[in-house]
Amino acid sequence: MYDIEPLESEWKAYQHKKKKPYYLVVLGIVLLALVSVALYKKNIIFDGYLNQFEDNNVKVSNKKNISSFSNLLLNEGLVRLETVNSPDKEAIKEEAIKSEKNEILVDIPILDIKEQSEVVDTNRKKVHLNIIKTSTASAYEDVEKRFYESHDIDDALFLARSYYKKGNYNKTETWAYEVNKIDSNLEEGLLLFIKSKYKLGRKNDALSILNTYLKKSNSADAKNLLYKIENNKL
Amino acid sequence: MKSRYEAAKNVFIDSIDIDDYIELSSSVTAYKQLQHSIEKPLKMILLFGRPGTGKSILLNRIQGKLKYQKEIYYFDTPAPTEKEFFQKLFKVLTQKELPKNTEVNFSALIDFCKSLRNKREIIILLDEAQMYGSEIMEKIRLLSDTRAVKFVVSLHKTEDEDLIAKEHFQSRIWEIIELKNATKEDQTAYIHKKLLKKNLFEIANSIKPKDMKLIHKFTKGNYRECNKLMFTVFEICEYYDTHEPSKINYSHIPSKIIEMSALKLGYIHV
Repeated sequence: MYDIEPLESEWKAYQHKKKKPYYLVVLGIVLLALVSVALYKKNIIFDGYLNQFEDNNVKVSNKKNISSFSNLLLNEGLVRLETVNSPDKEAIKEEAIKSEKNEILVDIPILDIKEQSEVVDTNRKKVHLNIIKTSTASAYEDVEKRFYESHDIDDALFLARSYYKKGNYNKTETWAYEVNKIDSNLEEGLLLFIKSKYKLGRKNDALSILNTYLKKSNSADAKNLLYKIENNKL
Repeated sequence: MKSRYEAAKNVFIDSIDIDDYIELSSSVTAYKQLQHSIEKPLKMILLFGRPGTGKSILLNRIQGKLKYQKEIYYFDTPAPTEKEFFQKLFKVLTQKELPKNTEVNFSALIDFCKSLRNKREIIILLDEAQMYGSEIMEKIRLLSDTRAVKFVVSLHKTEDEDLIAKEHFQSRIWEIIELKNATKEDQTAYIHKKLLKKNLFEIANSIKPKDMKLIHKFTKGNYRECNKLMFTVFEICEYYDTHEPSKINYSHIPSKIIEMSALKLGYIHV
């Protein structure tokens, strides 16, 4: 009688031994996969933190930028500007335009009234805005840099306005042109472009553009500007 | 009832029976080489290879083929003593029995051999020659120098045994024939031919190329090991066929059985 049973048991043990490396390889692959998944998840979380961190940084820098914009706008020292929000924005605008001395102040409500008015609409409170003048060129550079990344029309408009007020008409022309490229219907951009042309001594160009615009627009501001240019009162 | 595997098992009983000789391309080459060497005026021929590479069966076959044409003798196992070896040799050379209480005088034997030159051409096939001592080997060399006796010395090829050749026969005229383990293809042909020789076609067919690969892996192409493994494989098959037929697939020898045989023979271990 052949003693087969011990041989069969031995064969089973041999099979187990033979397959051991394969089991180890499979186990290794599974472990590797688990580690990869864990690392991947960790990266996602890490990226989340990074994004959050970056977002915070952006917010902080935006805040800084906003404060930079504000800081740029007044002529000397620290000025406390107390504004009482009024629902009549146009009246404020007109008043600002009329006043040469207060010209700089025109833009503050334009920039800030949106925010302020929203706040005021709900709270009806006085808003105190501390504006500090700065000559930091880097603030403009920051905005320019940001514009080339975001192509935000507000940034371009801000730069056009600011350069105009600083008397840098070449830059005003450039940024007003950028505004016009983004939104050709935005009157302020166009008017700044015309004003810069005039200031750069190209009165004819300025008039030509302004007259073309007035053919399709009945804007009071545009007419006012036409009057000023024609009479060399700008 | 007899199992179908019993006959297959018996095919692989290790023997040097000339009827079991399987002609393979490698063995035919070795045979022709040996036959050609015997024809040449060489004094000694060295046939070597690892155990189980078919040296003995080759010597048997050449003796069987040439026995009617030449005076050829096959010394299968070495004589235990020098005295007995020369008694055997005396009988072959003189065709007479050595008288009782006498010993062979080696010098006289040399002279006798010299006298046989150009009269007789005696070929002696010495199997398992590695078992002869160095003294006998030296005397064999002297006998071969008479040119009346040609020796075919079959040796196991091991590092030590190669030394024998170097020490004793370095200056002799040698023809060296080396037998090697079979290739997978040769071994496959060997197994198939062996089974077909006994009309076991179905069983031969049930050993697939994959199994042959496994068999070659375990036996490393050695014919003796192959015989042992195949014998065990069919022994296990026979057991299953008789006692647990559900465990056997008649159309295909399972690799499980080959591995079990390898375990039993110690080719692999748990």
